[in-house]
Amino acid sequence: MNRLAIAATALALAAGGAARADSVLVLNSEDASYSILSRSGRIELVRMPIGREPHHLVVTPDGKDLLLASTTTNELLVLDAKTGEKRRVQRDIIDPYQVGFSPDGKWFVTAAYRLDHVDIYHADGFKLAGRIFIDGLPSHMTFDADSKTVFVTLQQTGRVVAFDLATQAIKWNVEVGKAPAGALMLPDNKRLLVALTGEDGLVVVEPKDGSVVGRLQTGKGAHNFWPKGDGRHWFLSNRVEGTVSLLDTQDMKVTASIKVPGGPDCMDITPDGKELWVTQRFLRRIAVVDLEQMRMVASVPVGKSPHGVFMLRSAAPGPGTGPVRAASTSDEQK
Amino acid sequence: MRDLIDIWVGAQNWLFETLVSPLLFRFGLMEWFEPAFNAVEIVMLGIVQILVIALGMRFFEKRWPLEKTGNDDLVAVDRIYTVLNKLGIIPLAVFMMSYPITNEIDYLVRSWGFAPPRLEQLVPWLHDSALGSFLVYFALYDFAAYWLHRAQHKFSWWWALHSLHHSQRQVTVWSDDRNHIVDDLLMTLALVVFAQFVGVQPDDYILILMIGRLIESWSHANVDMSFGRLGERLIVGPRFHRLHHALAGPDERHIHDHNFAPVFPIWDMLFGTAIYDGKHRPTGVDNPLMDADNGRGWVAQQVTVFGRFVRALAPRFSRGPIQPGLRPPAE
Repeated sequence: MNRLAIAATALALAAGGAARADSVLVLNSEDASYSILSRSGRIELVRMPIGREPHHLVVTPDGKDLLLASTTTNELLVLDAKTGEKRRVQRDIIDPYQVGFSPDGKWFVTAAYRLDHVDIYHADGFKLAGRIFIDGLPSHMTFDADSKTVFVTLQQTGRVVAFDLATQAIKWNVEVGKAPAGALMLPDNKRLLVALTGEDGLVVVEPKDGSVVGRLQTGKGAHNFWPKGDGRHWFLSNRVEGTVSLLDTQDMKVTASIKVPGGPDCMDITPDGKELWVTQRFLRRIAVVDLEQMRMVASVPVGKSPHGVFMLRSAAPGPGTGPVRAASTSDEQK
Repeated sequence: MRDLIDIWVGAQNWLFETLVSPLLFRFGLMEWFEPAFNAVEIVMLGIVQILVIALGMRFFEKRWPLEKTGNDDLVAVDRIYTVLNKLGIIPLAVFMMSYPITNEIDYLVRSWGFAPPRLEQLVPWLHDSALGSFLVYFALYDFAAYWLHRAQHKFSWWWALHSLHHSQRQVTVWSDDRNHIVDDLLMTLALVVFAQFVGVQPDDYILILMIGRLIESWSHANVDMSFGRLGERLIVGPRFHRLHHALAGPDERHIHDHNFAPVFPIWDMLFGTAIYDGKHRPTGVDNPLMDADNGRGWVAQQVTVFGRFVRALAPRFSRGPIQPGLRPPAE
């Protein structure tokens, strides 16, 4: 795409406030903005304002809306998940750092990282069911397959907590390692993987009681998961190491390691399954990884401290993507 | 522009990954991963500021000095203050002391469901103007700093600290950072809480500090230069601010209680504290106990000034009656 065409597209998008299906949305957490990029052109098309400190995002269970969580302003900006067009603002969601829907779509959960609480809402109408205050920087989350439990990592205290969604009661609260971040309930619903950002890999946790039953070395600063789409392989970003590992969750081994500098964090995969896009928090860029070559082939400038990333989609869902997509949870593989 | 950003961020990332990140990882401090990365940028900006002062501003001081500089030893201690501040050593200490307090205030206010207001909601066009938004937040920040500066002169206990900044007889580009660490702590606490309340973005906050402190360093310069009649009313310059450092005399007991503004003189003009008379006055303080700061090094200044702060705060700790001059003259 030549520069003139890019400029024209950017102008058209800016005027319309919407994006096309061939677009990637990135949250610039320290710029109070989100960028919309052209997937094929690999260039930022437009940058739009959003409240303050946006970190994560999630698609509604019906796949129609994309919720961008603005932490400091206590609100969700609701966009059309296909076009990126603004729809409305959902207010009074307190400190929504990490956000996710239960697989059955009935529960909406937020982790208030700064304010140390986990909020469980009835997804229909965002009515608060319960707020549980818990020390230790609640950050990432994942759900069990039957939508009874949400597992939340506490980065500061090194623990994982399991909450009963219906009663909002704590089922267990167990120490698993240094700075646990990304959490992933595998499709068998029997193994919970937790990435340890303060260590160099992940632990396998028993979902019933939180006991650690296994470990896997991936790289320093293991942080966040994203599905490859085949129900077996997941990507895991290693923030300190500057790599993304490809995990085989059946054999529990690392099958590949891809160099992605600049504190790689959140990821999303293109609908055709050919590219993985990874936010490079420290470099103000987003990396494009070619999944055939298994290497980074491009790095596109965006805003400061890019965090959550999302592929705006056409009507047809891509490989391995269900109706629910959370930026940092991976409960969608069903 | 993007090339410059890439060079800057690349250097920041290299420093972080080489020097800082391994320590955080080794000592289990990964919850500070993101703030530490931003701290590296503050240190880098400090190095740039030192270079601008040492190579740029000092050129003008040497070329067009307002006063002949006599004893370089008086200025040497100010260089130490500047380096300690710009390289982030004092800011880090201040941050470690102030963070639990500002964090608790932030936690409390936000747990009530209060979200910081956004100017962009009131003035929608600010959404589309990064420069306009930045200038508005800069002006608000400067407004708060103006009133805090007046408070530094108003309350005897605060003046006991702030007088260290005024006691320098040879005010130069190095003088801006000459402050007691408790004074720095109080100002940081107040300004961070204010910035959180009005919703200043972290990135804007760093830029405001960077540009603001450079302008303040220049306003202390010993130069016979001016921004012109209009310019002196838009931005604080050396002539305007030198009056604020003027030595009080029998005829001008309150001369230093004027020209408080850090960056935008409009606050002094609006609130009746501006003087534009063009007169050249010597700088310093008329209190011999405070003037004695000039013979001391960094540690001695910090210790003795803390002593007079405690005595001003709680006179019963004083060995005798409060020394004359500890309280600023009543207006």
